[in-house]
Amino acid sequence: MATLSLQHLDKIYDNKVQAVYDFSLDVKDGELIVLVGPSGCGKSTTLRMVAGLEDISAGRLLLDGKDITQTPAKDRDMAMVFQNYALYGHMTIYENMAFSLTLRKENPNVIHKKVLAAAEILGLTEQLNKKPAQLSGGQRQRVAMGRSIVRNPKVFLFDEPLSNLDAKLRGATRREILLLHKRLNATMLYVTHDQTEALTLADRIVCMSMGHVQQVGTPLELYDTPANLFVASFIGLPPMNFFTVQVGEDALVSECLRVPLTAEEKELLKPYGGKEIVLGVRPEDIVSGGDIPVRVFSNENLGMNTLVHGHVMGKERITCKLRGWCDYRAGDTVPVSFVRKHFFDKETTNAIRGEA
Amino acid sequence: MSMNEDRFIQRDRMRFTKNTLSSGLALLAILFNVLYFVSIYKSDVGSYYYNIRMGASVLYNLLFMLVVFLCSEGVKSYKSSFAWVLLVIGALQIARIFYLPLTAHTAVVTVSKQKTIVMQNAQFIRVIVYLAASGACCLLAGIVGIRKSRALAAHMAGLEQKAA
Repeated sequence: MATLSLQHLDKIYDNKVQAVYDFSLDVKDGELIVLVGPSGCGKSTTLRMVAGLEDISAGRLLLDGKDITQTPAKDRDMAMVFQNYALYGHMTIYENMAFSLTLRKENPNVIHKKVLAAAEILGLTEQLNKKPAQLSGGQRQRVAMGRSIVRNPKVFLFDEPLSNLDAKLRGATRREILLLHKRLNATMLYVTHDQTEALTLADRIVCMSMGHVQQVGTPLELYDTPANLFVASFIGLPPMNFFTVQVGEDALVSECLRVPLTAEEKELLKPYGGKEIVLGVRPEDIVSGGDIPVRVFSNENLGMNTLVHGHVMGKERITCKLRGWCDYRAGDTVPVSFVRKHFFDKETTNAIRGEA
Repeated sequence: MSMNEDRFIQRDRMRFTKNTLSSGLALLAILFNVLYFVSIYKSDVGSYYYNIRMGASVLYNLLFMLVVFLCSEGVKSYKSSFAWVLLVIGALQIARIFYLPLTAHTAVVTVSKQKTIVMQNAQFIRVIVYLAASGACCLLAGIVGIRKSRALAAHMAGLEQKAA
């Protein structure tokens, strides 16, 4: 297995469009890093630069301390799993999985052992004589992974591998990837736009937007202490509620909201006294009972929770994830309170933390 | 890897790979048959070939190509019955040497008041080489096919026994 170091990577296309800005990251041995962000944020471009499928405009890429910035893709000892599987339709699953090794002219008996071992890991032993068209999407994706496993590469690269699967299969395949990572203890770079995948799979997440890294951290860090408004809005489902409020003496106030501050929060927001900031509250950090009236306009029962969409004082839109089964109707008023708050600088959009 | 393990893996590989050797040989047999087919008939021997034998020979060639192609697909997936068919066809292909080519080689026709041997030595040798090669390919494909299908069947039986 391997360590990977991405140092100040830039990607500028021939038409002068810059897709990635100063991307730096150290991937530890056996770590699963998930690059997450909306479409066009540069995550796939970064992965392709690592794979050697895109030239690196500036910066260095080190694999186990060795500079591979200019090394051709075939010599990088990395395996990539694509969204569309990229399987050969006329070959059987066995032949597909053995293909890369056959091209390298490995001993057929060694290839056979490797393919059977990979098929065993992925539960594909019974499918080895079938053609890709006879398999489900999830099985095909497993074959694509198997093709990578047999090569025993230093780094696995996944480019949105679950995007073509339906929701149920996506969940199952996601768990398989997680098990696979635990079993192989391989260094993996995984690109997705799905924050659920990112939160459930990653050892660390790299959240990207417009080619810039917004935050690097564990899933809990990104969820609990988002670095800025973008990360706060991107991570978490349903997304965080935001309110522009003014920092008062003992409360945050806006036209329709008055949120009392604790002593700690007052201390934290001291430098912002009288200024406007952005208050962020996750829907799951809202509980029923309190002095913030929410006028309900729709109610979604999820079983264990109920998503209540409404307005505060008829203006600010809010989504609350309340415990249990609630049967609110449009027009009902539900009093709520915020149990946890996040504060963001309105100008820089950065989170306001203790050291601010 | 020990010899035994090596042999076991070699046999186990047959579960997932095709018998391309037999299949390739069968296709090669078709190729030699085509060469035979296009080299046997000549137009400067009067009406020697214009009889029912020519029609039967053309039909047989077409049938040969069809059957051998089907057999090549069959032996590819270790079906021994197709291998047996290839053995029969291979033997027939050898036997054909003594039918049309040999009779043509010994036959003499009069064209423009001149006696001519229907099939000269050079053509005769060429034709029998094609037929013999075609027959040999079929026989070899059949033998390899039978051996491999037996080996695979024995291996599968061993695996089943192990599983039980």
